Amino acid sequence: MKLEGTYTFKAPQDVVYKLLLDPAALRACMPGCERMEETAPDVYEATMKVGVASVKGTFTGKVQLKDKRPPAAFTMAVEGSGTVGFMKGEGVVELVAQGGQTEVKWSGDAQVGGLIAGVGQRMIGGVSKMMIGQFFKMMEDQLGKGGAR
Amino acid sequence: MKPAQFEYFDPGTLDEALKLLRDHGDDAKVLAGGQSLVPLMNFRLARPKVIVDVNKIPGLDYVRDVDGMIHIGALTRQRTVETSSVIKGKCPLLTEATYWVGHLAIRTRGTVGGTIAHADPAAEYPCVLSALGGQVVVKGPAGERVLTADDFFVTFLTTALQPTEMVTEVRFPTVPPEAGWAFVEFSRRHGDFAIVGVAAMVQLDKQRKCTDARIALCGVGGTPFKARSAEAILKGTEVTDKVIQAAAEKVGGEVEPEGDLHGSAEYRKHLAKVLTGRTLRKALEKAGKVG
Repeated sequence: MKLEGTYTFKAPQDVVYKLLLDPAALRACMPGCERMEETAPDVYEATMKVGVASVKGTFTGKVQLKDKRPPAAFTMAVEGSGTVGFMKGEGVVELVAQGGQTEVKWSGDAQVGGLIAGVGQRMIGGVSKMMIGQFFKMMEDQLGKGGAR
Repeated sequence: MKPAQFEYFDPGTLDEALKLLRDHGDDAKVLAGGQSLVPLMNFRLARPKVIVDVNKIPGLDYVRDVDGMIHIGALTRQRTVETSSVIKGKCPLLTEATYWVGHLAIRTRGTVGGTIAHADPAAEYPCVLSALGGQVVVKGPAGERVLTADDFFVTFLTTALQPTEMVTEVRFPTVPPEAGWAFVEFSRRHGDFAIVGVAAMVQLDKQRKCTDARIALCGVGGTPFKARSAEAILKGTEVTDKVIQAAAEKVGGEVEPEGDLHGSAEYRKHLAKVLTGRTLRKALEKAGKVG
């Protein structure tokens, strides 16, 4: 499953880069994040409860940050499994300065398997995109609260 | 397959049901016809801790014609809608859409309030409600709220309904007798989830100029897609084939569906365009012919 999109932050590129890699901000903004700990440099273990309405599953997995090129780009590898299936994917996040604003472009490929992929197939793409959108929106709200400055 | 363990309640009154929802909040789920919830529970994709079965509550099963609106009790079965002469007379678009809701066995059990509250992006009733600009009545601890379709549907399977609230009535505006209407849907097999579906209602004056147009699509996003720009293209014009084509192209250009096993995003956009054109032509054939 290919996923891509953009989100524009009303903040400079270096501020946004720092924010996107700030564990405290990530913990606060990842949808349904119940736990997130750094187990090695740039490797995090997380438990997330994700889904919509009554259709929710708990995933436990690993997030690894790679190819960091501040303040322009980084790669994020995610893998996790839980009660309703498993997921594995890698995404590239690019930050493009546009005046005082920053356009964040994200694109990646995810494999989703198990029950959720079989039965929930119709909605996985749309729901994933929606959750990524929510994540960026909440990250931007963090800027307002003075996070990562 | 069997569901995960849950606690079961079957309250005899609406007040008791609302009290149970207040006590259990997010852990509780309302069971009406069970045609979506029970399969999700059997697959264990949904694991509600508490089930509040509302089937024993009297007075939630009715169809009433009230001042230009058809009021339908939340517990009314879809099969009752399908065979209701009041609905066939005053809101035939809903009768036609009902034909596409699952299969006969599903419609016999499935309820109007259930399909609205479940808010499946491919479902027919939310699409018709959005097209006609209907309302959803919900009851909760703070009393009654009446929401428009636009405010009610939030995203995939998500509505403005709070965990402590329950849908009690759905209101569909009546279709004027001189208006034309149609519901067209495409899926691989009849009764499958719609890949794309379109609901439309068109009204013409004596010069066959369009005075009102209502269009909505299902299967192209998280909520029903209300085709406002396409409606604007039709309104005030003499609806020629060229105008229909322009409206259909507008819809195809505006929708942003996701791809899945059943069809790519591009295919869905194409279907949205083609089916909008077909639905409008079908609706126009009926417009101006009373009865």
